[in-house]
Amino acid sequence: MRWATTLRLRLRSLLRRDLVERELDEEIRFHVDRLTDEHVAAGMPPRDARQAALREMGGLDQRKEECRDARGLALWDELRQDGQYALRGLRKSPGFTTVATLSLALGIGANTTIFTFVNAVLLRPLPYPGSDRLVILREQPIGAEATVSVHPQNFLEWRARAGSFDALALVQTPPLDVIGPGGAEQISDAQTTSELFRVFGVGPALGRVFTAEETRPGNHDVVILGHGFWQRWFGGDPAVLGRRLAVRDGSLTIIGVAPPGLRIGLIEPDAYTPLPIDPAKPDSIGSRSFECYGRLKPGVSLDAARAEMAVVASALARQYPIDRGYGVFVSGLHEYLVREGRPALGLLMAVVATVLVIACVNLAGLLMARGIRRRGELAVRASLGASRGRLVRQLIIESLVLSSLGGAAGLVLAYGGARALVMLTAGALTVGSLEPIRLESTCLAFTLVVTTMTSLAFGLLPAWQASRVEPQMALRERTRGGSADRRQHRMRSALVVTEVAMAVVLLVGAGLLLRTFSRLVRVDLGFQPSGTITMGLFLGMRSPEARVALVDQILERVEALPGVTAASTIQFLPLTGMNCGTGFWLEGQTPADASHALPTDCSLVSRGYFAAMGIPVRDGRPFDRRDRLGSPRVLIVNRSFTRRYFPDGRALGRRILVQSSTQAWAEIVGIVGDVRHNGLTSEPVPTVFLLHAQTPGYITNLVVRATGDANAQAAAVRNAIREVDPTQAVSAVKTLEQYVGDSLTRPRMYAALVACFAVLAVILAAVGVYGLIAYVVAQRTHEIGIRLALGASRGDVFRAVFGQGARLAFMGLVLGIVAARGLRGLVSKLLFGVTAGDPVSYVVAAAAFAAVALAVAAIPAHRASRVEPTAALRCE
Amino acid sequence: MSKPTDLVQGTLDLLILRVIALEPMHGWAIAQRIRQMSGDELRVGQGSLYPALHKLEQQGWIEAEWAASENNRRAKYYTLTRAGRKALENESAQWARLSAAISLVMRRA
Repeated sequence: MRWATTLRLRLRSLLRRDLVERELDEEIRFHVDRLTDEHVAAGMPPRDARQAALREMGGLDQRKEECRDARGLALWDELRQDGQYALRGLRKSPGFTTVATLSLALGIGANTTIFTFVNAVLLRPLPYPGSDRLVILREQPIGAEATVSVHPQNFLEWRARAGSFDALALVQTPPLDVIGPGGAEQISDAQTTSELFRVFGVGPALGRVFTAEETRPGNHDVVILGHGFWQRWFGGDPAVLGRRLAVRDGSLTIIGVAPPGLRIGLIEPDAYTPLPIDPAKPDSIGSRSFECYGRLKPGVSLDAARAEMAVVASALARQYPIDRGYGVFVSGLHEYLVREGRPALGLLMAVVATVLVIACVNLAGLLMARGIRRRGELAVRASLGASRGRLVRQLIIESLVLSSLGGAAGLVLAYGGARALVMLTAGALTVGSLEPIRLESTCLAFTLVVTTMTSLAFGLLPAWQASRVEPQMALRERTRGGSADRRQHRMRSALVVTEVAMAVVLLVGAGLLLRTFSRLVRVDLGFQPSGTITMGLFLGMRSPEARVALVDQILERVEALPGVTAASTIQFLPLTGMNCGTGFWLEGQTPADASHALPTDCSLVSRGYFAAMGIPVRDGRPFDRRDRLGSPRVLIVNRSFTRRYFPDGRALGRRILVQSSTQAWAEIVGIVGDVRHNGLTSEPVPTVFLLHAQTPGYITNLVVRATGDANAQAAAVRNAIREVDPTQAVSAVKTLEQYVGDSLTRPRMYAALVACFAVLAVILAAVGVYGLIAYVVAQRTHEIGIRLALGASRGDVFRAVFGQGARLAFMGLVLGIVAARGLRGLVSKLLFGVTAGDPVSYVVAAAAFAAVALAVAAIPAHRASRVEPTAALRCE
Repeated sequence: MSKPTDLVQGTLDLLILRVIALEPMHGWAIAQRIRQMSGDELRVGQGSLYPALHKLEQQGWIEAEWAASENNRRAKYYTLTRAGRKALENESAQWARLSAAISLVMRRA
């Protein structure tokens, strides 16, 4: 408790100085008065008595000063003096101050900007009570890194067997078509078991959550509204409970409203409906296509839960064929959601930290030069009695003032930078983040720490060096170079070489990422994305015939629209991260034996798909109107498929059986070109195309190739759909080009940001080279004058100075190239089409930097060669 | 008059603590009381009294409060805190040991 009192009193002395001063004044005056009274009582005349009293006190101000010292105010005053002195000194050299503040501002600003993202995405916990106990459970083929969604039967088994969890919930998020006054709209729906809200530790904002009974088989037409949807559709009306929400095939009773900000995985559902699982037949609702969320019991660690689930999984694998070869993947939910953002942010944080280190190294060099120029001033102070500690403190405070200026400016930059970056990266950095990204107190604290550390990083060494003055020596030699200068010159050279090397590393990295990006932009997708719009359709619980008929009618109408050249559907669009893997048997194989099925990807499309996408038909024919529900089953394969499974090239006319719910032997009638379905960087895989008209699906996407304005065409298409069925909703409209753009977001961001920061680093390093050489020239003006007077040519002088700069740049360059090769493992995962040792990137980076460095070294070299011997000799 | 340097280092603090242990007092009264109690032997100069008081206050051993003095003026009264009382006990014990030791040496010499 003592320290608390002391702190309070110290603070009072500092912050309420006027009050403390007044009290001190009054206390001393009281004493003088009493002394005077005593003298008067002893018989002195009042005026003499007062004089005597003051004499005895021996100087009121001195007494007060002693009291102030006792209160520990002296240190504070000295610090304030140092601060003011530092500000005065910085004002006197505006060029230095500007360069220093600017480079610090850029360094600190870049760090704060990236940290803002790190904080929002990685550090801020999920906004639920006890969110550190939230986990996600998925299935994982043994030996594989990737995980897959959960089978409902496994969910039931886990729930029954595992003791690590307070609650487990199974969720699927299909679209739901709701019908409002403005027509049908597709919204997101979380079909879930009753424990979902317990898992997330939240209750409903209104009404109630599902009962266990409602998630068992039966007709439970109830719905909980998502908070955002409730606001949007019902204006946040609390009387919404008990009302009905119209959906395409009936209506649902609204029983509750979810709390705001509840996200299931990455989406904030518009509605929640019960997911009824039949314990007798769990796969009646689907197979491995569900997400499982859980809440750990208090005191149960993630590792303990993993260990338990490993035991459960091996027991299930022995019991059920579907679980053979599968384990259980358990991860903290937050950890899982940020899995893609983490490496990106780690890389960017390393890059901006490097920029800041370069800025610091640069400043250390500049401060050393300044220290030499100020040696006379420091020597005077030392000879007047300033201790070395006091001098170091003075210089450190100067650094602190400088870095505070830089930090403040950096904060302003970061404020704008974070906002700009949120827009530029369009979610590429914020995977899994729920709250808005903004500068908040954690970021301010980060900036404060970085700023302070920065000032020490660049200030300590120069301060130590500069304070090593011996007054007589320093006063005598003033600015002329002695052995101390040479030592310092070596150190500055080492600093410059270091910063050049770091800048070169960033430049090489930027080169690799830019080349990756340009490769990605030019990658052959296998389809023509321009002029094609898409929108999602959820066909819902119609009969198979109705689903076929609906798509048929929609395609008929859409094809007839003016400007439309082709229209079709596909279940999962390319580049959306969704695909359907399955297996097939060749003629002569026994289809019953699932373990002998050959793996293939599978796309469910409608007639006209290849025309709409611009995929070339290499052989045979595309699907057409002949291929119907009753007609002979046909399918089309891509070239990867024929290369892999029909090396003889004779695939046309062969029959295969593809695993599906309505499987039947089908004839290959066409061969089409390969498409990069699973991402720009993923090689095409063997794929079979099945026909929606023969094996109708539930979810599909309309693909329309049309000329003219995309928005107008999209509106026309929606109208056409409404004419076919007014209750049919569509999801958001997107062009294929937008999907391609989306998959370029992250590589573009990497390339752009790293390139920006590399340019920044190069500028800083160039300033470093320039600063050192210019300083050397300034130091040696006298000597250069003598050389010129003795007959050296101006070319000799230029070469000597320029050579010095070139040598430093070259050493840094070599060191940088070596370091970049050493660090190439860090970026290799982000590259595409180039290797981490890509010679072009290295050569271009080296050449670019060399050009900048040489240009920068030429300026002081030129100035040196222009020195007028007479003027130079006079200047001392 | 005794100068502060005449007092053994730290003794003044002890005397102040001891005197205000009796009752809250202002600076003037503390000086008077020390003088009185020491049989006029010890006179505390203003140059050392007030810095000592301020230092003790910062240390949290004594605390100050403004109140009316015996001649109806506002005066700053110092009181012992709990930490101060403990410090007084320690310091008195130490002082007793020290002075006993010194007199022992002086007697033998």
